[in-house]
Amino acid sequence: MLAYLVRRAAYGVLVVFGVLMLLFALFFGVTKPDDIARRAIGEKAMPSVIAQWKKNHGYDRPLWPGAGHLTDNLLVDHFRKMLTFDFGRSDADDTPIINRIKDGAGPSLSLTLPEFTCGIGLGLIIALFLAFFRETYIDRAGLVLGVLGMSVSVLLYIIGGQFLIGKLLRWFPISGFDSSWLVRPRFLMLPVIVGIAAYLGSDTRFYRTLFVEEIHRDYVRTARAKGAGEIRVMARHVLRNALIPILTGIVISVPTLFMGSLLLENAFGIPGLGSLTVDAITGNDFATLRAIVFIGSLLLVGGQILTDITYTLADPRIRLE
Amino acid sequence: MTWPSFVAGRPTSCLFALLALAACTNNPYPDTDDGRKVLYTSFNEAPKSLDPAVAYDTTAHEITGQVHDTLLEYHYLKRPYQLIPGLASEIPKGQPLSDGGVVYDFALRPGALFQDDPCFELGAPGRKTRVIEASDVAFELYRIADPRVNSPVTEPFSNLAGFAEFSERLAKLAKSDPAFAKLPARERYTRGGDIAGIRVVDPTHLRITLQTPYPQILYWFTMPFTTPVPWEAVEYYNGKGDHPPLADHPVASGPYLLAEYRKQSRMVLAKNPNWYGIRHPDWHAPGATYPSDGEAEDQSAGRLTSESVGQPLPRIERVEFRREKESIPAFTKFLQGYYDSSGIIRESFDKVVREDRLSPEMAALGLRLDKSVLAGVFYLGFNMDDRVVGSKAGARSRKLRQAMSLAVDMKEYSRLFMNGRGVPAQSPLPPGIFGYDPAYKNPYRVVDIARGQALLVEAGYPRGIDPTTGQPLHLTFDTYDTSAEGRPRLQFFINAWRQLGIDVELAGTTYNKFQEKVRDGAYQIFLWGWYGDYPDAENFMFLLSSDMAASKNHGPNTANFSNPEFDRLFSMMRTRENDNERFAIIQRMIGVLEQERPWIELYHPENYALFHAWIKDVKTAGLSVPTLKYQDIDPTLRREKRLAWNRPLVWPAYALLALAALVIAPGVLTFFKERQ
Amino acid sequence: MAALLSSHITANAVVGLLLLGALWVARFVRRNRLWRDAFTQIARRRPLALAVCALYVSLGLIDSVAWIGGGDTGGDAVASHQPRSLLDRAFGTSRERSYSAPLARAEFYGQRPLAHPGKHLLGTDVLGRDVLFVTLKGARIALLIGGLTSLISIPLALFFGVLAGYFGKWLDDAIFFLMSVLASVPGILLLIALIMALGKSTLSVCLALGVTGWVGFCRIARGEAMKLRELDYVHAARALGVPEVRIILRHILPNLIHLIVITFVLTFSSQVLSEAVLSWINIGVDGSWGQMIAQAKDELARDPIVWWNIAGAGGGLFGLLLAINMVGDAVRDVLDPRTSKENL
Repeated sequence: MLAYLVRRAAYGVLVVFGVLMLLFALFFGVTKPDDIARRAIGEKAMPSVIAQWKKNHGYDRPLWPGAGHLTDNLLVDHFRKMLTFDFGRSDADDTPIINRIKDGAGPSLSLTLPEFTCGIGLGLIIALFLAFFRETYIDRAGLVLGVLGMSVSVLLYIIGGQFLIGKLLRWFPISGFDSSWLVRPRFLMLPVIVGIAAYLGSDTRFYRTLFVEEIHRDYVRTARAKGAGEIRVMARHVLRNALIPILTGIVISVPTLFMGSLLLENAFGIPGLGSLTVDAITGNDFATLRAIVFIGSLLLVGGQILTDITYTLADPRIRLE
Repeated sequence: MTWPSFVAGRPTSCLFALLALAACTNNPYPDTDDGRKVLYTSFNEAPKSLDPAVAYDTTAHEITGQVHDTLLEYHYLKRPYQLIPGLASEIPKGQPLSDGGVVYDFALRPGALFQDDPCFELGAPGRKTRVIEASDVAFELYRIADPRVNSPVTEPFSNLAGFAEFSERLAKLAKSDPAFAKLPARERYTRGGDIAGIRVVDPTHLRITLQTPYPQILYWFTMPFTTPVPWEAVEYYNGKGDHPPLADHPVASGPYLLAEYRKQSRMVLAKNPNWYGIRHPDWHAPGATYPSDGEAEDQSAGRLTSESVGQPLPRIERVEFRREKESIPAFTKFLQGYYDSSGIIRESFDKVVREDRLSPEMAALGLRLDKSVLAGVFYLGFNMDDRVVGSKAGARSRKLRQAMSLAVDMKEYSRLFMNGRGVPAQSPLPPGIFGYDPAYKNPYRVVDIARGQALLVEAGYPRGIDPTTGQPLHLTFDTYDTSAEGRPRLQFFINAWRQLGIDVELAGTTYNKFQEKVRDGAYQIFLWGWYGDYPDAENFMFLLSSDMAASKNHGPNTANFSNPEFDRLFSMMRTRENDNERFAIIQRMIGVLEQERPWIELYHPENYALFHAWIKDVKTAGLSVPTLKYQDIDPTLRREKRLAWNRPLVWPAYALLALAALVIAPGVLTFFKERQ
Repeated sequence: MAALLSSHITANAVVGLLLLGALWVARFVRRNRLWRDAFTQIARRRPLALAVCALYVSLGLIDSVAWIGGGDTGGDAVASHQPRSLLDRAFGTSRERSYSAPLARAEFYGQRPLAHPGKHLLGTDVLGRDVLFVTLKGARIALLIGGLTSLISIPLALFFGVLAGYFGKWLDDAIFFLMSVLASVPGILLLIALIMALGKSTLSVCLALGVTGWVGFCRIARGEAMKLRELDYVHAARALGVPEVRIILRHILPNLIHLIVITFVLTFSSQVLSEAVLSWINIGVDGSWGQMIAQAKDELARDPIVWWNIAGAGGGLFGLLLAINMVGDAVRDVLDPRTSKENL
């Protein structure tokens, strides 16, 4: 087990290295520091000012290591910045990027955590309900609603949610955020509901498939033949056994919850990492974007490793090679 | 939420909703703030920098304008704009010198303090604040000259004797000595030598010397660029360790101070107890008391009531700025009473305004509508360096530009995209600026397709066909506005020129690429706007002077217009006082533009602002001028209205729950019956 | 790709090629018993959804076949010099000045009479374009995003995936590493990074979607090729000295096509949905339904409400995704011998 973990982690490190090279190619090979500078300080800037800005932000160095600048070049700087989590300053407004990422993680999590847990909980409950009443009109209606639900773009859920719940029914603030925990839950209700609704259809269908598959297994039939009640069978056997693939399947997304939600945060004005990403896009803030993509990748690699570990823990039949 | 998924989430989602409804309110603020004089307003883009020498965007000015006191200010009510003394005790008069220069002497109010800040411990241990001195203003002017600061407004101050030389000296020192860059700013400026045009006579007297007459310089002393800045703040807030950069932490002297600053989500201003208006009401300074005189319309609009006149400022205790990226939720919150003022979004215009007045249903809410034409101009520009549309093609391209100008229907554009707001522009000069002639109608800013087609024939493009290719003349319209909002607007112009048979292609690029194109001169047509820094024709006409050409000098003359006659008139107009002669010169300049058509002038933006009944004594300004300290709020009225407007509708939740139960129940019943 | 497609001759050529390809596939399906059975089953299960898909495809085709000249352009001198598709010609001269409600006889604001009263089934948008026309044009874009990007990335993915899975060793290591790297960047962030670096344009969006789609296809091809490599008859063929290329073509490729088909259908809807998300943050494809929704969302706040734009785009998107999802279900049930899905 330990040897496997070490090997798995080593490969993760290798992949992170690959991601860093990819980012370097994209953000230094294709875009030029001159453009970044002009976008940041305005069109009236004189060439001398641009040169100064590039100097302040370290964009004036050579791209590759070479004689005389073995360590003082953009490639080494890129690796150093990313690996030490000192991402330097934003191209758009000169704030330290790491501060903005730290500031954003909290709001992001306070949106994604309830959305994620309630979404899964709700999906499981409905799926269990549908599986219990499988082959009746309730099940079929649920399935049809599921397909309908997953064919609607998230954009329409957001627009509809704000219009209906925010504007017409006036249940919650239509958008916004507050750092104080007294007021914050009010703001989170609407985006969490919208986020859950948008993915409920596909989630529920997926879970239901797993449940029904489990119901048809031999041991369930045996249990039922022994006279166990239907509800007991569902709870004791079906739910418990189907939970293994479900849980191992969702572990991968747990670390990336930090990244927040691109669409929801923007539509509802939550100052998390999703908002930061969109700000970086509209502001052509390449330094911030680079940091966000790197962190996202790091978390995803972490999620992949976690998944592999849970697989081996959940299913002892999987051999560790 | 669309209904299928809501129903798919039947039992629990309703439970969820019910739990939530128990505590459900859409009030975005803590209940404790309900009865207080807090102004709520929104902002769209996070400010880039609050460093007064750098801040130039509108959001930043919303903050810097309130927290930084300036030597001079504009009168709150009087129009055209009139200067009043601020931190300076009176408005200086320009004294001409024998060598053609001009001297201005500023006298500062003695004993005014900066806000409390830990940075002042650098001067003496335990010190929280100190008196504002002339050297603090001089320090800020030196900062503008400092290439490291990257101030966007160096150009207007380069007229100060020795200003540019100082800049160069600093640059040279930085290049020759790497250690120099690490020195504190004050130290670097001492080594860089003096700027002769900026002289601290004594702690309360500052002398500014201009090399050539430039009466507009006084306007720059109403802007935060020239506010006093303590050297301690620059040294302390250096962005290292726990100290935020100055760009995020102003140390200022205005009526408000920045109490909370999370620029991505919220900014809070609170009264500054050190402000001279609060500490010295006995001074009766014009910038610290509500004015007693104004225009006739201020009388009728209730801005000169006895409750207000002579009141000490500021009147609102706290100002909260919340970030709103999307306009519609922001406007909805305004209508719910959670923002005190708002612009009118395009989508709701017809609901809010009818026949140019507030609609009855909005008036019933107690809203007030305030209209003001902004000192700005939007235009389509041609790149005059271009081979086809530019001046190299001589009369041919001039006729082409004239024809294209005749195809753009500003009235229709305004109707489609701005609800008829905006004054159709005849020249670069907006109304309210000296030199604007309301009677002047530009003969090329009417729609006349037939004449345009005739001009195209003369230009050698009959029916829009380019004789060299036999195809419609192909031009490109370069833009970095690729937003969903901007696309149809630009398409409108394309369609207009299609009527002439000219095929204009929309080339959407990133801002970077667009700037690159501007630098390389690789563009033909563009859409651009300009908001004046101060109310003077010079600040608009310089956009077309050849000294400011983008291609040669990286200036704001993006059209690269270069016309000797225009340049000659510009230099004559620039330094004159506002007299008849100056008016005539400006008209001749407009005449040149009329024929040459480097721009197709579109409109002067018009701002329609809405205010709730509980906001008092608001007068909007066409310029970016700080006004918050004059406004007042009635929080009791606000609380009543908010409660009345925001009762949640709960029955749909119960109805849905009941419906879901009704649909499912028979299935469940039969299921269990069969099972038994 | 999009730049190429803007030239109508290339576009017509591509359409021709696609049609030829489709005919060949149809012939193949008819002749091969297994595939014929599968198709009949799918058609029997989801006749309506399949018909809807066919409708969308034909709309896309109609909007792709274009030529210059001929027809009435309603006095638009420039248009008569530009390639116009069959769809453009059908709606050619139906322009109004601005908004009008579905089937209205007068403008929405101001009540001026329309040039074509009662003719606009879905009303007109802010610039007076027929919303039905704009919506129908979105079909081609959606197919381009969901289908064509995949159709181009699939051959590449097959090539690399089979190479890696079948030959293994360092080749596998290298390709698997590349896949791992691309798969380690969260999908939407990878899209954003690619688009930002390549510049915001239709072409770069398609390229970015192609790259992200490629990883999925490649992984499946690799995994399946690895499994097939170990099967007895492949071992036997190799022992008999059959050339590797021949083994791949005869035994490996045909046996993983069904998985590719399933993945293609499943990827389709996620690609289209991804593009809608990109449109929302202003880096999407011109003329897509996502962009229409992003443009139209503010119109819901108008009073009286302008709903037909969002209804057109939302309906177009919903119809396509629903049909694809339904067909996808059937395709998976019919083609996939296992019921559990690892690549949902």
